[in-house]
Amino acid sequence: MKTYNELPADAGSDIIGQVTAQLNRLQKRLADVKHTVAIMSGKGGVGKSAITANLAAALALEGCAVGVVDADINGPSIAKMMGVRNAALHYSPAGVTPIVNALGIKVISMDLLLAEDEAPVLWNAHTQKDAFTWRATMEVGALREFIGDTEWGALDYLLLDLPPGTDKLPNVVELLPNLGGVLVVTIPSEVSQFIVKKSLAMAQHILNVPIIGVIENMAFHICQHCGEKEPLFSTDEPLWEETLGSIPFDAKLAYCSDKGMPYVREYPDTPASLALTAVAGKIQHFFKET
Amino acid sequence: MKFLCRDCDTAMKFKDVTRPEQGSVTAVFECPDCFVEFAMFLNPWETQMLKSLDLQLGGTAEAAQPMQMVRSQLGTAKREPMPDTPDAQDANAAGTAEGGKCPFTSVIAGAFEEEEPKVEPAGPTWSAEALARLERIPSFVRPMAKMGIEGFAKDNGHAEITAEVMDAARGNFPSQF
Repeated sequence: MKTYNELPADAGSDIIGQVTAQLNRLQKRLADVKHTVAIMSGKGGVGKSAITANLAAALALEGCAVGVVDADINGPSIAKMMGVRNAALHYSPAGVTPIVNALGIKVISMDLLLAEDEAPVLWNAHTQKDAFTWRATMEVGALREFIGDTEWGALDYLLLDLPPGTDKLPNVVELLPNLGGVLVVTIPSEVSQFIVKKSLAMAQHILNVPIIGVIENMAFHICQHCGEKEPLFSTDEPLWEETLGSIPFDAKLAYCSDKGMPYVREYPDTPASLALTAVAGKIQHFFKET
Repeated sequence: MKFLCRDCDTAMKFKDVTRPEQGSVTAVFECPDCFVEFAMFLNPWETQMLKSLDLQLGGTAEAAQPMQMVRSQLGTAKREPMPDTPDAQDANAAGTAEGGKCPFTSVIAGAFEEEEPKVEPAGPTWSAEALARLERIPSFVRPMAKMGIEGFAKDNGHAEITAEVMDAARGNFPSQF
């Protein structure tokens, strides 16, 4: 009796062909995208999305063509932070036209597809019971379509705002084997470092993805009255030997994120804006060097 | 998966696939030598896994539509102002009031669209109390909940959906009601 490996690869469904076609579509779509950058932390609540939105804005203000993929399928916040959440997507056989914000940044997010503010992501199924067996696959499929079916056109940078979790980057790398680099966002708390180091190890040692650098968000607070630096967490000693930038806490940044305004344009001279703009410059330098 | 006809020692070939019925797809394979056939049933979770991978049993001759998996499978999607083809525009204009769904779902769902019941008797009826409870479910999730409860009622032989049936159906769908 013949064995598994002696039989033809497929009984007629051409599953490998279908998967290859999906990935080819994705590669073709990104042919005019110069650099893909994943923004990750592993830990939630460190400000990845706000950093992503403002780095995108800083790059756009420097004349770069920028796109942003909200890879947080279940907790999409990028559309709100970038001021496009009430826009309607337009579909054509060629692809989905991304929403373009006030700075010309192209945005795709699950938020743009959901029916109402409070609508969670729920997938059609005969039964939702034991949905854990397929839900994660749906989410990766959605991310593949967001990246591969959006008409990005020519971009200098495509930023991917990843959800928390050290398992998310491997999914992205499966889809984008030529990922240009990873930005790791953390805050100066030991709990955050504890998790973020796992993400870094995953990126560096398991996936061998280029690390652009670590961004320390909410690094300190500058007193509005006396200008003195105040620590926000247990220590203001740097926990990383070298960071790409330390972004001070500024309530105006949170306000701009809530209102969908680019903080780096609204308040360009604040310490946080200057730090974000400097990080954007270092990202450009990183890709010039590589 | 690969299938072998043991009598002929020949690889079976895919022959046909049904659309899902109660979440289950049936794929038929045939031996090219002796023409014996067998049917493979995918349970709802296996069927759902194929859907999530956006793969079609038997292959697909259709070119992929943009975001076809998300747009056809997202149960809480907003209604789309949609595509540029006249047919789709007509379908959009004729959309249901409650659906909030993409009109091209019918075009792309293909083999994964649920089979229409053939001589299906009328579905389970809803008691007034059950209907009132259904109305309390948020509108964006109500169609999914309704489908889940009706599926549960059919699977379990309930001719009428009552509050008790709704209680028993919890777990088949995500909402509290």
